[in-house]
Amino acid sequence: MSRFQARMAALVNRRAANRPQFDVWLIGTTMALVLLGLIMVASSSITVADRVHSQPLYFFWRQFFAAGVGIILAIAIIRIPLSIWERSSVPLLVCGSVLLVLVLIPGIGREVNGSMRWIGLGPVSLQSSEPVKLCVIAYLAGYLVRHGEKVRTGFAGFIRPIGVVTVIAGLLLLEPDYGAAVVVFATALGMLFMGGVPLSRYFAWVLTAVAALGSLAIISPYRLQRLTSFLNPWEDPFNSGFQLTQALIAFGRGEWFGVGLGSSVQKLFYLPEAHTDFLFAVLAEELGLAGSALVILAYFFIVWRSFVIAHVAEQAGKPFSAYLSYGIGLIIGLQAYINIGVNMGVLPTKGLTLPLISFGSNSMVISCALIALLLRVEFENHEVRRRQLPEAMTHYAA
Amino acid sequence: MEKGQTKSHAGRRGFLTGTFVIASALLLWRAADLQIFSAPLLRQHGDARSVRDVAIAAHRGMIVDRNGEPLAISTPVSSVWVTPKEVPWRDARLAQLARVLEIEPAALRGAQEMRLQREFVYVKRQVTPDQAEMVSALRIPGVHLEREYKRYYPAGEIAAHVIGFTNVDDSGQEGMELAFDHWLRGEPGVKRVLKDRIGRTVQDIESIRPPAPGKLLELSIDRRLQYLAYRELKLAVAANGARGGSMVMLDPATGEVLAMAAQPSFNPNNRSGFKNEFYRNRPATDLFEPGSTLKPFTIAAALQSGRFTPATIIETGPGVMAVSNHFIRDIRDFGTIDVANVIRKSSNVGASRIALSLGPEPLWQMFRAVGFGRGTGSGFPGEATGQVQGFKHWSELELATAAFGYGISVTALQLAQAYAVIANEGVLRPVSLQKQSGRVPGQPVMPAAVAAQVRAMLETVVEPDGTGHRAAVRGYRVAGKTGTVHKAVAGGYAENRYLSLFAGFAPASAPRLVLVVMIDEPQMGEYYGGLVAAPVFARIMHSALRIFAVPPDDLPALEGRVVVAGQDASTL
Repeated sequence: MSRFQARMAALVNRRAANRPQFDVWLIGTTMALVLLGLIMVASSSITVADRVHSQPLYFFWRQFFAAGVGIILAIAIIRIPLSIWERSSVPLLVCGSVLLVLVLIPGIGREVNGSMRWIGLGPVSLQSSEPVKLCVIAYLAGYLVRHGEKVRTGFAGFIRPIGVVTVIAGLLLLEPDYGAAVVVFATALGMLFMGGVPLSRYFAWVLTAVAALGSLAIISPYRLQRLTSFLNPWEDPFNSGFQLTQALIAFGRGEWFGVGLGSSVQKLFYLPEAHTDFLFAVLAEELGLAGSALVILAYFFIVWRSFVIAHVAEQAGKPFSAYLSYGIGLIIGLQAYINIGVNMGVLPTKGLTLPLISFGSNSMVISCALIALLLRVEFENHEVRRRQLPEAMTHYAA
Repeated sequence: MEKGQTKSHAGRRGFLTGTFVIASALLLWRAADLQIFSAPLLRQHGDARSVRDVAIAAHRGMIVDRNGEPLAISTPVSSVWVTPKEVPWRDARLAQLARVLEIEPAALRGAQEMRLQREFVYVKRQVTPDQAEMVSALRIPGVHLEREYKRYYPAGEIAAHVIGFTNVDDSGQEGMELAFDHWLRGEPGVKRVLKDRIGRTVQDIESIRPPAPGKLLELSIDRRLQYLAYRELKLAVAANGARGGSMVMLDPATGEVLAMAAQPSFNPNNRSGFKNEFYRNRPATDLFEPGSTLKPFTIAAALQSGRFTPATIIETGPGVMAVSNHFIRDIRDFGTIDVANVIRKSSNVGASRIALSLGPEPLWQMFRAVGFGRGTGSGFPGEATGQVQGFKHWSELELATAAFGYGISVTALQLAQAYAVIANEGVLRPVSLQKQSGRVPGQPVMPAAVAAQVRAMLETVVEPDGTGHRAAVRGYRVAGKTGTVHKAVAGGYAENRYLSLFAGFAPASAPRLVLVVMIDEPQMGEYYGGLVAAPVFARIMHSALRIFAVPPDDLPALEGRVVVAGQDASTL
């Protein structure tokens, strides 16, 4: 067959045989969020950067660099077969745990604002909690494949991964990084849920865990008070409610279409962490409800897409890919929704970044890697489908 | 098995997707609530934190002389202030800041110590534009500049007393700056601005009230004349080693003060190191006994009574007279002289005899009528009114000494106003430091004929053999009177401390300028008014007549005097 004929055939069968290899919508949404993030990081940090670093684009260029590294890493990951990840899921978890232990050792870990979260590596620094997210997801996906039957039938199969994740979350709490601990733990629970743990056992256990956490909060009222101060920030708007009230004001100033890009007032030192944890509030102020709603919908799209990809992988008999996709969708979705919820004062304030958007090099790189894995899953789904499962396409479209 | 597993996963996936759908809906609802429904309230909260009404500095009105020459100008300057808790106190740039502002680093640390209590601490007020530029170039967090206006006085010490000065807050403290503070003061405007949390203005929102600059104040002073008069006074005070001096020049037709100066003076542009007493505008605030310069009014009272004429003979021999166990002396025995010569020779005995014969009431009335013991109407802050005791309680001695200017106190300004009555055919006008336009109504207080007679007598004082001949101005007829006053001290009069006075006007034929010169405690041997004050009078009057282009009224005599002056010059 000549090259020309092949092309003609491809053209004729474009819709059926030659569907795009990668999920264009997912790539588009991701790139849109990254671009929006770069713009918003520049806009929200410009005055702070100018004042603190005498360099208005200090944060922007770092984020730009991180996005570049993330995209290069993503291109690399897309080329790695998932079987390699599946085989190395346990070593990955070990690596992640080592990072979490290392960061707690004074001299290796660097303390910033009272938390040991960083490992300095020359000009860059590594935030242990970020790669650990990837490690935990890979480990659990592998575990659910290897011990799927035990998980579904026996208690031991269920409690072992819970134990591992509890240790990981415990290490994160030692830093302390409450936000990462909550997200990692909740993601693990979601993956186990999708792994087929019987509902009665599952919810019994979840209720126990919630009760334990609840009692912990009651034992130390200080923690409870800190946890619940978000419910009425206006009670103490200049102290404990300061950050949240400033964030809420940012939302209020935004109205329908925002005050315009670059015109936020709240970023002018009123709202602390405007370019990191509270970037969404500045985004809502500058771009209005239109912007904030679009971003929420974009994250929902990523979550939904990852679930569909997982489902297709499941159908294609690739359980590791499926669990991996669920984990990725859950961790990005949970982190984004919790961050947005915190910004809008419906959840207690936790140090969590908005994946793909807010400032944070490690978060950016890992988020890109996670999306790349998702794209790889989708890519492998196509290979399978092209070869043997044309009827799966109907499911995919669902 | 395979099928069941798939089904259960489908349900669980549906559950998770549903959870995210609900969560999305909740977040969207919350976003809509915050951004649309609660927006007005949140905006209000935001504005309460970021919208501020700030004052726009309004500059103070300018003070100009009668010809529109500036005497006090407001120039824009910057003041440096800090929000102490935002300043990085260990930053090396702070040492540079101290150097730029020329202050001790300790002064900066003083601001630091207030950091817990204060949001706003001035580091230095009113720095130069160069300094302000350097401060803003340092870009130190928490260090701010504020626009203010600083008063600048182009005439410096020359007119310092009349104009006075403002304090650092641009509010009048002395002189005309104080008297006309409300007139000169600008009304600051208000504008609404958006501020960032560290207090920097980000954006102007609207102007609520534009600033209203202060109004222009036109003084009656003539800057050229003021300069000349001040220089002559300063030279005379220095040459005589005097403690101080005053001069005031009036326009008798309007009551305007054309020049008013005092020694010692101060630099209103930089007052550091000047004592408070230097700020006193002596011509208006310092009282003294007028001595012989009061005699023309004693004579005027006598002439007005009708019992005396210029030719009435007075016996002054033997140059000394006893009144209530006190002796009144002349400097020598003038013998039998007429009233005109009492003035010309300045006979204390003659003046006393006239007063004793006249009685206290006419004398007192004359003194009050020409303005002694009352305000001059200048409105100058801290102006003294002086004292003229009620005549009913005058003893014989008090009456006799009042005749030659003891026992009553006047200011140089009052003395000038009183001489203006003589110059002005008996009409008293209020003194004004503001430029007058049109005719200024006066009050007749002395018959014009009496004023003319006294004027003629005063002219004889400046004649070549008169006591005040050094007050003569070539080409002009000058009328005036010398005064040499023993200074009153606790318990009596000092033997060796004098005031040297000369009061008069020119040209005598149609007086245009009234001038009083007072030298306080000349220490270089000479102290007679005719020797110390009269030459100063002549020099100032000479300049003033030329500045105002007053036509000479003594031209025939001029030729003769040129020769005399030439001889004088050759004999010097």
